[in-house]
Amino acid sequence: MQGKAIIEIKDLVKIYKGSDEAAIKGISLDINQGEIFGLLGPNGAGKTTTISILCGLFNPTKGSARIDGMDILSNHNAIKKIIGVVPQDVALYPTLTSWENLTFFGNMYGLRGAHLREKIAEGFSVFGLEKHADKKIANCSGGIKRRVNLIAGLLHDPKIIFLDEPTVGIDVQSRVVILEYLNELNRKGTTVIYTSHYMEEAEKLCTRVAIIDRGKVISMGNPRELVAEHPEFKDLENIFLHLTGKDLRD
Amino acid sequence: MFKFFSACRKESLILIRDLAGLIMLFLMPMIMVTILALVQEQGWSSLSRDPSIPVLLVDEDQDTLGAKIQEGLKGSNVFKIYTSIDGKPVNRETAKQKIAKGEYNIGVIIPKGSTGIIRHKVQVMVTQIVSGIMMPVDNPFLDIKVNDSINILIYFDPGIKGTFKYAFMSTMKEYSMFIESSMIFSSFNTELRKMFPQYRPPKMDYRESVFFTEIFPGGKDEKAIPSTTQHNVPAWALFAMFFIVIPMTGSMIKERDEGSMIRINTMPVPYLTIFMAKVSVYAVVCVIQFILMMLAGRYVLPLANIPSLTVGSNYMGILLMMVVSSLAALGFAIAVGTIARTHQQAAAFGVVSVVVLTALGGLWVPVYLMPEAMRSLALWSPLNWAHVGFIDLFLRQATIADILPQVFKLLCFFVITISIALLYRRVKSPLNN
Repeated sequence: MQGKAIIEIKDLVKIYKGSDEAAIKGISLDINQGEIFGLLGPNGAGKTTTISILCGLFNPTKGSARIDGMDILSNHNAIKKIIGVVPQDVALYPTLTSWENLTFFGNMYGLRGAHLREKIAEGFSVFGLEKHADKKIANCSGGIKRRVNLIAGLLHDPKIIFLDEPTVGIDVQSRVVILEYLNELNRKGTTVIYTSHYMEEAEKLCTRVAIIDRGKVISMGNPRELVAEHPEFKDLENIFLHLTGKDLRD
Repeated sequence: MFKFFSACRKESLILIRDLAGLIMLFLMPMIMVTILALVQEQGWSSLSRDPSIPVLLVDEDQDTLGAKIQEGLKGSNVFKIYTSIDGKPVNRETAKQKIAKGEYNIGVIIPKGSTGIIRHKVQVMVTQIVSGIMMPVDNPFLDIKVNDSINILIYFDPGIKGTFKYAFMSTMKEYSMFIESSMIFSSFNTELRKMFPQYRPPKMDYRESVFFTEIFPGGKDEKAIPSTTQHNVPAWALFAMFFIVIPMTGSMIKERDEGSMIRINTMPVPYLTIFMAKVSVYAVVCVIQFILMMLAGRYVLPLANIPSLTVGSNYMGILLMMVVSSLAALGFAIAVGTIARTHQQAAAFGVVSVVVLTALGGLWVPVYLMPEAMRSLALWSPLNWAHVGFIDLFLRQATIADILPQVFKLLCFFVITISIALLYRRVKSPLNN
């Protein structure tokens, strides 16, 4: 399913106001259509900043990026229609039920009526949330919130989906369901870009990964090929530690 | 458009789910309007119904002046006169101490011989006049000079308001002039009787020769006296309405903190749609709040013997003013909510600015009582525009055309504040940092 580059990032730089150091320092990479692409890196490496720029949340200080051939600065609205975003933190209304949250976010993507109801029901079915449809988000467990958070970004069948650490803080069962679903989406042609701290998860899931540290891409490639290239490190986690060091990060 | 309605539905659900917050949103302004109107009403107009200001009277004169002043103060129905405390007559020293301690607000000391001095002065004056008729030339009485004067001491509690002090002094001057005039009249009668034994003094009360009728042009019934309720209730209702800045900014900041605004920012929906939905839902809240406050003025205040609120008959005009006032309040809230980064910033700025705009707008102290510079500033307060609009509707039977200038100003304020919010968001939003 992999094809031409659907995301092209060139010399992307982001310096936050009031900060002396750039959060990302000239990142350049292409992500192909149909890939599951992992952005890996320690805390503060620049993963979330990169995703946020691509989603239109921040403007880059320098550099450019194109999504499906459209420049991110001049085609905000068109890009928003073809991307789905699953933020790192649960971004839902606590006093609304799961169903109400998804109805609202579905409407914001332009979905409505029977089609939207079907999409929500499908999401609930996939993630085993049927009996939690009428429960307020505030009363749901962390795992349920994460799953609803994920469905909210997928309702409109986006061409590209950005997931910022979607499996943080959830149990193994929920993680397996989420990863299987991402694989399923990818098989249907959705390009998945996701960030994670879980190397084993990335190794299994991603077709390619980019290891980012201190705002720069320090290594990129197929995880299995990376492991093969460094047989002395056995797995992706050891390669990651070798490349990024063992110093604690902020 | 359905995105807008969906956002409205979401806002309504969030509001309805916070039942306690919703009750507070409607109940607190009603309580505030009732209590503040009650306090203001009791403070001023009810004075005439329930004499409540304690005045210590030390009548050392024990003659006409002391008796007339006491009679006049009692008759005013404003003051409660005390000539003794715990069964002991009040003297100068006690009065001074009691006033200094704040136990009483006012003390009046009428010195001994005051009536005698007035009487003597009047006697000399009348004699000079009458003798002038009898002896047009070489009148020896014209050389008599009376230099004595009375010095009535009035002790005021330092905490008493200047305006009230002024009103009391005016009342006292009025009484003393009346007493002096009465004595002149009485002395003339006495002198005339001496000259013409057959003379019978007429029974007349010259005070009643001048009457004052209050006319309020513009109203249906020009002699119907506008109650303070009609001034106070819309003033406090607008004050409460502008406090929507607190829940509104709270909702905006919460949405940002909870991350849902970040998700919305990644969706193909303009920010304007989202916050216009917020404005629409909260505008309904503001209008309901205002109606409830009017109902409190109409039905709750009379329970405390305060005149019921009458709102005139231009209901369409009232609805229009309610809507545009709500929009002005919400535009302001949107601007504050967009610029403030934390609840603390929004609450501190929101509360202080609403209080300042209210004070500037002449809702607490009438604009005409303000210093010149403040009067010019008052013309820039949206609360002033709204208040003027409601007063025009309630008291001057204004038509919709009459209130259009206020409506236009409030709408402009809404557009300007919303534009500021949009511009700020585009230029300085944390998202673009």
